[in-house]
Amino acid sequence: MNLKFNFKRALSIAKKEQFHIMRDPFTLTMATILPVLLVLIFGLAIEFNVKDIGLTVHDSDRTFSSRKLVEVFSSSQYFNINPSRGSIIDAISDLDSERSKASLIIEPEFEHNLLASGNTKAQFLLDGADNSTAGVILGYLGGIQKAANFKLTGTLVKEPIELKTRYLFNPELSSPWFIVPGLAVVVIAILSILLTALTVAREWENGSMELLLSTPVQPLEIIIGKLIPYTVIGLAAVLLVVLVAILGFGIPFAGNIILFGVGSLIFLIACLAQGMLISVLIRTQQLSMQIAMVTGLLPSLLLSGFIFPLESMPKFFQNFTSILPSKWFMIISRGIFLKGADLSDLKLPFIGLFILSSILIITATKKFKKDLEP
Amino acid sequence: MQQMSIGIKINNIKKKLGLNQALDGVSTHFEEGLLHGLIGPEGAGKTTLLRTLLNLLTPDEGTVQFTNHGADIDYNSIRSSIAYMPQQQSLYADLSISEHLDFFRDLYQIPKDVYLKRREELLHITRLDKFIDRPAGKLSGGMYKKLGLMCALLQSPAAILLDEPTNGVDPISRREFWDLLHRLSKENILIIFATAYMDEAERCDRVHILSTGSLIAEGTPRGVLERENVESYDALFIKRAAEGVL
Amino acid sequence: MTNIPVNAVDVSNLTVKFGDFIAVKNISFSVEKGEIFGFLGANGAGKTTTIRVLCGLLLPTSGKVKVSDVTYDQGIEAIKAKVGYMSQKFTLYNDLSIQENFAFTASLRKIPSDTLKRRTKELLDFIGFSKPMNTLVRDLPGGIKQQVSLAASILHDPEIIFLDEPTAGVTPVARARFWALIKQLAKDGKTIFVTTHYMDEAEQCGRIALMRTGEIIALDGPENLKKTTFPDPIIELNPKGTIPSELIEQLRNNKAVDSIDSYGMKYHLIMKDSQEWNRLSIEIAPFFVIRQIPPSLEDVFIRLVEGVTR
Repeated sequence: MNLKFNFKRALSIAKKEQFHIMRDPFTLTMATILPVLLVLIFGLAIEFNVKDIGLTVHDSDRTFSSRKLVEVFSSSQYFNINPSRGSIIDAISDLDSERSKASLIIEPEFEHNLLASGNTKAQFLLDGADNSTAGVILGYLGGIQKAANFKLTGTLVKEPIELKTRYLFNPELSSPWFIVPGLAVVVIAILSILLTALTVAREWENGSMELLLSTPVQPLEIIIGKLIPYTVIGLAAVLLVVLVAILGFGIPFAGNIILFGVGSLIFLIACLAQGMLISVLIRTQQLSMQIAMVTGLLPSLLLSGFIFPLESMPKFFQNFTSILPSKWFMIISRGIFLKGADLSDLKLPFIGLFILSSILIITATKKFKKDLEP
Repeated sequence: MQQMSIGIKINNIKKKLGLNQALDGVSTHFEEGLLHGLIGPEGAGKTTLLRTLLNLLTPDEGTVQFTNHGADIDYNSIRSSIAYMPQQQSLYADLSISEHLDFFRDLYQIPKDVYLKRREELLHITRLDKFIDRPAGKLSGGMYKKLGLMCALLQSPAAILLDEPTNGVDPISRREFWDLLHRLSKENILIIFATAYMDEAERCDRVHILSTGSLIAEGTPRGVLERENVESYDALFIKRAAEGVL
Repeated sequence: MTNIPVNAVDVSNLTVKFGDFIAVKNISFSVEKGEIFGFLGANGAGKTTTIRVLCGLLLPTSGKVKVSDVTYDQGIEAIKAKVGYMSQKFTLYNDLSIQENFAFTASLRKIPSDTLKRRTKELLDFIGFSKPMNTLVRDLPGGIKQQVSLAASILHDPEIIFLDEPTAGVTPVARARFWALIKQLAKDGKTIFVTTHYMDEAEQCGRIALMRTGEIIALDGPENLKKTTFPDPIIELNPKGTIPSELIEQLRNNKAVDSIDSYGMKYHLIMKDSQEWNRLSIEIAPFFVIRQIPPSLEDVFIRLVEGVTR
């Protein structure tokens, strides 16, 4: 009799699932709107380059030199100068009230010291509460200091070793370049985990699972059958993201599109299997959806290196992220997209991804209950 | 595709669900080709018993035996000869009648010519042939139950287990449903029919009266009443309650 | 005081349309105070629509509806205050206690707390409930749960109580108890409306209205309905073993026979002409045990509803 895995039966599940998807406005809307929305939000709204930083200047010196210093800041394009409203206290309270992100305080002796000893100081206060902006501003300071030295003393200070940094792969350090390839990861993760998390739970909830279980259909057939249509949806979503990246943001696709496709496929299957596992364990749609949101969104957004670099995490978390498929695919996606990396460069991430997807599928199949025991 | 006939013998089945002793030592025999009524109010253990027969639940104690099968039951092969119609709605609201039939054809791997013949036959006797494109969610209660029955019958099963298929169905659809079952019963199919409607007992070949997990009477519909010396099955329950058995 | 009975429900020329579809076609009927009134019909016959109008959930397209002296002119809320509704599917929250369920129902109905206290005691005494009030509903046996949900649906002391298949699935013992309660309520002057597919329940009603495609096709007491629909008794044919397969078809076409339908292993036959039948019954005596049985309400239902379509 038909005891073994039967691909035709899996296909019949896939076909039925396709009907559900085609007739359910929620699934189709999610599959098309979500990628576009995410690309727009992350690509346009979130700008990691900081400009127009509010800077309060309290100039107690009011000399030629102090004005020159302020000019250096104002001509850098990064800062908007807010004139001081009186005392030093005001200059500091501007930071509290978020009127400014930084304050420049110039003491009365500024020019005098410069002329007397060729050496002078000014105080720069920075709002450390906004960590990421503060980091960027600090980065600008080095250059501004150099420019100020030149303007005030007329000489270029020679440093013993001059480091020249050139950013490879993303020469302008443009945010969209960096973000959009990573978005492929987030889009696949959210979309596929969420959609599949609902599909088996739905069968439990509307009672059809009891009927399915009384037929000769096998767990693996149900799982494979349900994975097929969602794989197609997921791949379409990735394609959408890549197209928006290339056409909308003008990001060049440096690597091999086929290799990128294969990577996406393996990652997709890992995510679908994760959603399936949730769905198999949790028999209600509502709880499945919540768990899918947490386990799908958080790792891909926060622990994959998408926003926060993995290198700056504690050692434990760095190791922990290795069990997250999104970490490996983040490396693959950015590697192929921006660097044009090939398979030999990405051996480790591919192997990691492959192992993780296999584990997830096997677990989902094993955990799939073939009875109605509570 | 005539299947071998099936009978089911169960011996001292016990099953606890949570704190509730759903089945408390039930032994009986469902004979090949007969229409058996499993009759009892809500909570009597009807659903649990049917699920146990299908191995959707594993009994804590006791055995299930299929005639024509050895002691070692291979449920994977039995599942292709037993059909089941669960109590709760279990069809897909967004799939049409025709799509349901196609889906179950694929699940049971029914050859095309057999399927086409069977499908036509079933649509004809259920009088659903005019509605094949209507989604299950838009069928009336009686039509929905008939579609459920059709899906179960598609594979020409040797046995069919029905869990309260006439619950909430109007008397006309109910009678149509019973007519279908009697027609099937003549084809030597074992039918086990769970119901809370006492008046449906009359329509079965054998009745098994369940109450709070135990069988309180069984036999032919008339035989049980005569033996217990009561007018109706309602009266039987009331008599047992008065005796302090329930 | 006069002896003219007070009507709890007066419906005249009620029509309800949904777009082009006429769900209820120009029906008129009255229900007396203290009556137990059964409402029967196939799915989609217009029962639910009619009940919704009477409960103040749906506005009539045309016609007059008076529920306990309140009309739709006085607003939907005025009607709602006069009716209680107990559905087969849902009335109580399983994960709340009886106390919490009652308090919730009371807050929806804006029942003051002292009234709630008094009514709760009255009703629990009425149904003979003795468990603690903080028992969770899910821990109650089916029969008790159904009595408690009846109590919850009449917490606001309505004049008219609608019951939808109230005793489907409960034990015969609990069903007998429930109907005793219902009859007590009717005696106290409440009007009871029952919709059901369950003929055992229909038998308990004083009068029954039978609906088909939006119209009332019969309205009478159960016994009268049986008598008028079947002036002659029904004949039960119990086969004495296997019968020739074409025999039933022959009987169906016989001029003495009005109709013959299978009923379990047996057949129910309705005669057309008693003299012809007497002759025929001798002819088929070798095949069947023949006896006369009283018609059931189900026979009536099927005959009336299907008889017209056939």
